[in-house]
Amino acid sequence: MNPNIFFRILVFPGFLFLFVLILFCDWFERKIMARMQNRMGPSYTGPFGILQPLADYIKLLTKEDIIPHHARQFLFSLTPIISFSIFMLSIFCFPLDGINVFSNYGFEGDLLFVLALVTFAHFFLFLSGWSSSNPYSGIGAVRILMQFIGYDIPLIISAIGPAFLAGSLSLAKIASMQTIPFALLTPWTFILFLVALQAELEEDPFDVPHAETEIVAGYGTEFSGRKLAFIRLAKDTQIVFGAVLTATLFLGGPYGPVFSAPPSLWFTIYFVLKVLFVIALLEFVEAICARLRIDHVVRGNWRMITPAALLSVILTVLSAPYIRLFMGAPI
Amino acid sequence: MKEIDIEEEIIGTLEGMLGESVLGSKSPRPRRVYIHVKPAAHKRAISALLQAFPSTIISTITGIDLGETIEINYHFWCGKAEVTIRTNLSKSKPEIETITDIVPGASLYEREVHDLLGVKFANHPNLTRLLLPESWPENSYPLRKDWNPKQTGEIHDSSEKTLTIGETRTESNGGSLVNVIVGPQHPALHEPERFLFKLDGEVVVDVEPRLGYAHRGIEKAAEHLMFFQDVHLVERVCGICNVAHTTCFCQAVEALGKIEIPSRAKYLRTIVHEFNRIHSHLLLLGIAGLEIGFESLFQYLWRDRETVLDLTEKLTGNRVMAEYSTIGGVRRDLTPILGDEIKKKLQKIRDRLSFYKEVFQSDPTIELRTKGIGVLSEEKALKLCVVGPVARGSGVKSDVRKHDPYAAYEDAPFKEILYKDGDSWSRLMVRLEEVGESIEIITWAVDNIPSGPYRIRVPRRMPRGESLSRVEAPRGELIHYVKGNGTAYPERVKIRSPTLANIISFREMIRGCYVADIPAVLASLDPCFSCTDRMVFVDEKNGRRWIWSMNDLKARRRDS
Repeated sequence: MNPNIFFRILVFPGFLFLFVLILFCDWFERKIMARMQNRMGPSYTGPFGILQPLADYIKLLTKEDIIPHHARQFLFSLTPIISFSIFMLSIFCFPLDGINVFSNYGFEGDLLFVLALVTFAHFFLFLSGWSSSNPYSGIGAVRILMQFIGYDIPLIISAIGPAFLAGSLSLAKIASMQTIPFALLTPWTFILFLVALQAELEEDPFDVPHAETEIVAGYGTEFSGRKLAFIRLAKDTQIVFGAVLTATLFLGGPYGPVFSAPPSLWFTIYFVLKVLFVIALLEFVEAICARLRIDHVVRGNWRMITPAALLSVILTVLSAPYIRLFMGAPI
Repeated sequence: MKEIDIEEEIIGTLEGMLGESVLGSKSPRPRRVYIHVKPAAHKRAISALLQAFPSTIISTITGIDLGETIEINYHFWCGKAEVTIRTNLSKSKPEIETITDIVPGASLYEREVHDLLGVKFANHPNLTRLLLPESWPENSYPLRKDWNPKQTGEIHDSSEKTLTIGETRTESNGGSLVNVIVGPQHPALHEPERFLFKLDGEVVVDVEPRLGYAHRGIEKAAEHLMFFQDVHLVERVCGICNVAHTTCFCQAVEALGKIEIPSRAKYLRTIVHEFNRIHSHLLLLGIAGLEIGFESLFQYLWRDRETVLDLTEKLTGNRVMAEYSTIGGVRRDLTPILGDEIKKKLQKIRDRLSFYKEVFQSDPTIELRTKGIGVLSEEKALKLCVVGPVARGSGVKSDVRKHDPYAAYEDAPFKEILYKDGDSWSRLMVRLEEVGESIEIITWAVDNIPSGPYRIRVPRRMPRGESLSRVEAPRGELIHYVKGNGTAYPERVKIRSPTLANIISFREMIRGCYVADIPAVLASLDPCFSCTDRMVFVDEKNGRRWIWSMNDLKARRRDS
């Protein structure tokens, strides 16, 4: 067994690197959102307020941790950690600096594995709300189920498009196939994927499960202290995961031209830039939208997004031979 | 004198219809009519008024303790004049027939009088506490003159029915309802108020609002301060529409003392009043954006609102609490340089307004969340006697500035904005367009302001008498009724803020809506609960076991 693997899992490009990336993305998100809304955004902690997310987490870790009397204690304590871990594990499966955290190119079908893990993680977010025995959390939890079960379908269908074009269900293969990003070759799938992803990440206009003005913090209402920190971290990890998934499926993942050795350095840079690009896209949509209602969200999915996703797959299948020819790949 | 004709016509009509029941009538100034009827004849008088003027809405009910008797005043706006129907009850057995069956909008006002003066309204459908806590002792009525705080003693609300959060109740038809409590503390509410929503899944079946969490006892306190001190007290009724309150109170006292203020002061009051309206409307539109999850809109609107706050500060010396109107005029003058700056800066807001109008008209998410949501029909709006932008959003003409002009509004060029649909979107659009009209009014007032003094000195003592003043506050018709007894202290000050008139329609709007619509619809009402709850001095200690009372908290603070 490679002794290097511990370093890769714990430090780079594993846990520590991803943790820093997650905090950075949180800051990036807040900053560009603020600039779009004519505000300053975080600006006091560290240069340009870059340490603000870290400060927030440290603060939350020191706060009192309250478990409501009626809550299902075991589930209530477990779900924040589990949902964070699952999202983290799914990012581990992606090729981050050319190869994944476990020092290999993954296995055929790890795309399906990752998507399955995420569905599982959503179920834990639902359980976190359900176990707190609070009406706001209960409504938030039910909304998660309604929204995620619906939008998982178009998300997975849209994810099939790149897999079909690459002729593989392996994340590394799909990413490395893209000499020209699939986002440019099949923009119809890319846009649908982004819409479904926006719903999966609970960003505006789909942020109904934690709509502050209606149900306080939704499923997270009863969490405090360390548990809230982990719930927040899980949400941030989820956003980074969504960006990584998009970058891998549609923007060529970490791969790109290498100008000098070592390639993993360049791959890391490309990876981070592509992730930030996707986050900027998502935040832009969030800034220009009002929140929809849960019935709009569900109806919109079944009437528009899911049929459109199916159509887009058909379009992709029909145009696949030409696209492959264009990319110079074997048909 | 065309206006005198209207008042004589009203008195003549009612006297003709009621005959012997009328004890007396008077019309002290234009558009104000007082009719005194025999004790049991009030209902006949009100139905006669409704018959003669179908668009009559109730403004409020004022109860006054006269020592031996309790005087009940029903104030109505009949479209042309404010008609007060007055009747007396014996204090030992204060009981009177309810008018909620002919005027449904009177429900809250009757409960208010019942709460504070102990008048029993026979056959009222739900004569429960409105403002006082449930545990307030029986037979202790704060607005009676013989009441003193010691008699009531300490209040512990342990007797208050504790609501079970998330309680599920199976209905007879097999469905089940979930109770969800919104408030007193909730992110969608900016002030403490409690709503108990009964939900069937995501659909609202019913709502029970509970007011009274922000009592400060301003009406009672006003009786113990002199008139000129009360100006500052009523200013504290509400932070946002403070200018409306001071203007309204000063007008009432000036009418009471037959004081004619300089016309420059009238124009200056108009300018600040409209600043106040712009700032309040932009604030509300931003909040509405926030409630439907449109944060960017909120941030942009509030940035533009800063301009108005800066101008208010330059003119009055304060950003929010203007402290501008005073009895006999205003406190500061407008310089020509500032006048030019006002016009220039307002021009900028006007440009921004057309952008916001486009956003509200064309953004698909705003349309989904507000169009056709929380509908209040014109007929219902009249019946429930709503006021202000809520009424105008339903197509009811209710602008006090237009129909009962005060200050400089008689000559001011502006349109009354009316929308027909009665949904949340119409109510928001009314406000958006009113900001434009306000800019027109201010520009006109700055251009046409007459020269002269801006304040005259007035005596502290006011004569015996009564007066009723109405202004169009940003949220709608605001009423101050002031009764003087010949000293420097008022005998009675009655304030009816617009939210109390509008909150009754919330139930009508929200039934059948989704949970997600609750904040959006509530925001479209622009509720201001600190305005609504200003009646009684309450020294309440929260007696629930798991919450520390204020004193406990203080004790704890000292220990640590």
